[in-house]
Amino acid sequence: MADVLGAFEQAVLLAVVRLRDEAYGRAILKDVQTRLERDVAAGAVHATLERLQNRGLLSSRLGPGTPVRAGRARRYYTLQPTGLTALNDSREAVNAIWRGVKLPLTRVRSTS
Amino acid sequence: MKVDRPLPSPPRWAESLLLLLLEPRDRESFSGDLLEEYRETVIPARGRGANRWYAGQVAWFLWRAAWMWGVAIGAALIVRYLFDTLVPVTNFVDRSITLSQAIVTIFGAAAFWNTSRTDYIRTGILVALAAAVIGGVLSSLGSGVLLGIWHDPATLRAWQSSGGIDEALIDIPVLLIPISLVSGAAGAVAAKGLWTPIRRLGGRWSPP
Repeated sequence: MADVLGAFEQAVLLAVVRLRDEAYGRAILKDVQTRLERDVAAGAVHATLERLQNRGLLSSRLGPGTPVRAGRARRYYTLQPTGLTALNDSREAVNAIWRGVKLPLTRVRSTS
Repeated sequence: MKVDRPLPSPPRWAESLLLLLLEPRDRESFSGDLLEEYRETVIPARGRGANRWYAGQVAWFLWRAAWMWGVAIGAALIVRYLFDTLVPVTNFVDRSITLSQAIVTIFGAAAFWNTSRTDYIRTGILVALAAAVIGGVLSSLGSGVLLGIWHDPATLRAWQSSGGIDEALIDIPVLLIPISLVSGAAGAVAAKGLWTPIRRLGGRWSPP
């Protein structure tokens, strides 16, 4: 197994996968907020993107800005092969943990 | 004739603070992301509350940069109080010197690291100051808890001889502020002095 990803890291990487060529900071933030159904600090997404990039799971490049962002450049992210492997491994790990459990869970048997 | 209204902008102090806390490579792109979100989503949804939202996002960065150092300061002080409570001595000078050195080192390291990261001396000092506030609050809370647990006459006498309860609850947290400014300035200047010539020489290794 190459890399074990946390749930938030998976949400960020999957946002990059979904957004393809439009995967820049704010778009990723909105996608993560939509999927997790809660407010997320922009800094938390930024810190995660930075960490994933340092681990070689993502790469980035600068693109042109727009008037609404005062012309400031956008940083676009691209999934790297190691990122793809890490996502697949994470999915496998979750599947392995849940294998054999009958869904949906209904009740917990008391041991006392 | 159509007149273009200027786009709303977040408070200038908050934008300046954000730029101080970001690493050079992210300054333009991340501040742009936040500005775009502020103008396109937060202003329409929250109106005047948008400025509070923006300040909250910036505070998140300051907290992230400072919390670990603040916890280290708080922990150092609480460990000292714990020793004074459980292992009282007649002469507290050695303990005071050790604690002072530890605190100065932590503030210096916080400033050194954050100036290295951002290339701003002001950021190093600011993070050291924020760490002082966090450490001071933790230290006051911690000493309150310790006194809540151990408040027999012998323990209170030991506290009194090591400086007193007022010192632990109020004086030291207040004293942390000037110490953080001085030690932080030293750490930040050291970082700037170290990295500026290396960058100028085109050294390949740079701080993270």
